[in-house]
Amino acid sequence: MPKKILIIEDDRYLKELIVKKLKKEKFEVLEAVDGQEGFKKAKEEKPNLILLDLILPGTDGYTVLSQIKADPETSSIPVIIISNLGQIQEIQKGLKLGAVDYLIKAHFTPEKIIEKVKRFV
Amino acid sequence: MTKELKELKAELVAKTKKLKELSKTLDEQVKKRTKELEDSRRALMNILEDVQEAQKKTEEEKNKTLAVISNFTDGLLVFDKENKLSLINPQAEIFLEIKAKKVIGKSLSELGNFSNFPSLVRLLIKEDKEIFRKELTLKKNLILEISRVTIERPKKENETLVILHNITREKTVEKMKSDFVSLAAHQLRTPLSGIKWGLNMILEGDFGKITEEQKDILEKTYFTNERMITLIGELLDITRIEEGRFLYKSTKENIVEITEKVIDLLERIAQKQKIKIEFSIEEDIPEVKIDREKISFCIQNLIENAIIYNNPGGKVTILLKYDKTKNQILFSIKDTGIGILKDDQDRIFSKFFRGVLAMKKETVGSGLGLFVTKNVIEAHEGKIWFESEEGKGSTFYFTLPIT
Repeated sequence: MPKKILIIEDDRYLKELIVKKLKKEKFEVLEAVDGQEGFKKAKEEKPNLILLDLILPGTDGYTVLSQIKADPETSSIPVIIISNLGQIQEIQKGLKLGAVDYLIKAHFTPEKIIEKVKRFV
Repeated sequence: MTKELKELKAELVAKTKKLKELSKTLDEQVKKRTKELEDSRRALMNILEDVQEAQKKTEEEKNKTLAVISNFTDGLLVFDKENKLSLINPQAEIFLEIKAKKVIGKSLSELGNFSNFPSLVRLLIKEDKEIFRKELTLKKNLILEISRVTIERPKKENETLVILHNITREKTVEKMKSDFVSLAAHQLRTPLSGIKWGLNMILEGDFGKITEEQKDILEKTYFTNERMITLIGELLDITRIEEGRFLYKSTKENIVEITEKVIDLLERIAQKQKIKIEFSIEEDIPEVKIDREKISFCIQNLIENAIIYNNPGGKVTILLKYDKTKNQILFSIKDTGIGILKDDQDRIFSKFFRGVLAMKKETVGSGLGLFVTKNVIEAHEGKIWFESEEGKGSTFYFTLPIT
């Protein structure tokens, strides 16, 4: 059974690249482009891990993360934040809300992101 | 009979004459006295006028002082020698949402019972001496900077003056700036991430094999993009750190650990330049209340300078000490580098200033590092200074008080 990864990311190009990389590594990939859709898919599909962007149209990443962590059906799914927000307060906020890791996109390559994903599934 | 009459008449004449003479002297005396009285009246009047004048002047002075105090844009509170409130100006009434007549004469602890006072009273009780620009969030949307000074007057018991300065606007602007930096970081980094990821995957062969020539060019493009990402990072750091005058938040931190982390971060750059970093600690260093991010920036900046403006094969010696008597931490960093010209030494902490030798060694540099560092250290009530000799190197010192 391939592991299921849900990626919630609104930038289509970045999503395309990471999806390609994940598929190449034999993951099953689910996609969402905004917060609501992301939370809905997390509940329905129960992925093994979620890659979550923070700045999203509508419900932002922090809110989605809180929802995921508050819902008993999804609270145990590890969430890795991938964002370009990089101030200490922002990182601390993400980790405090329950993310297992916080990756700044510009400082990580897709390769390194997959390495992190593998560590948590 | 005639004779008798004649005698009587003569006597009468004589008496009349005497009487006239007497009356004349009396007149003269009365006149003289009257004049004397007039004179003293005039003198008295003069004195009275002077007194009135002086009184008027005093009154005016008092009104002027009161007007200054009343119209002052800072809130002012004066406490007498028994620490009872003896004066509160209108601005302080507004800040604390209280009427003067309700609180005048109350002691510090009694004031704690009024709704907006507790946090201020806590601060005033906790610090027993002078207070210099301590930040206090009185309520939502009202951030004050509190100072306390002693009013010393000859032959009078000392009173204390507490000044409440509104810095809400500055803090709001700071918040806006921080939000802007956040947004800018995101907006600038996102397209750069796209370039980075795309190039990286092509280079990794995710989209098929590429020729050596293509690989070479793509690698160079990749590193150019990396430089751009680093540059944005640095720019954001500087903007975020601001001018360092405001502390974001203070927490108890272990400065040894912070220094070690920064050294780890810079070890690679140092090795590249063949520079050895030595770090030693004297005595146990207690934890100190600081804004971690800002102090990390200062330490990083000082170490970076010691590496960049050093000579290949040089040394950087960092020493942390705890001064028990002054209850403060002393950080010192010595390099064996180019040093600072005598002429440049006065301006080394100025904004955008770069020393002549530094510019010769490294063409790129913002001239902000030491400026921001000084502001941060002083915002922590510490001191920063240096010793330097051209061609021999520099030693920078800073202190952090443990409060």
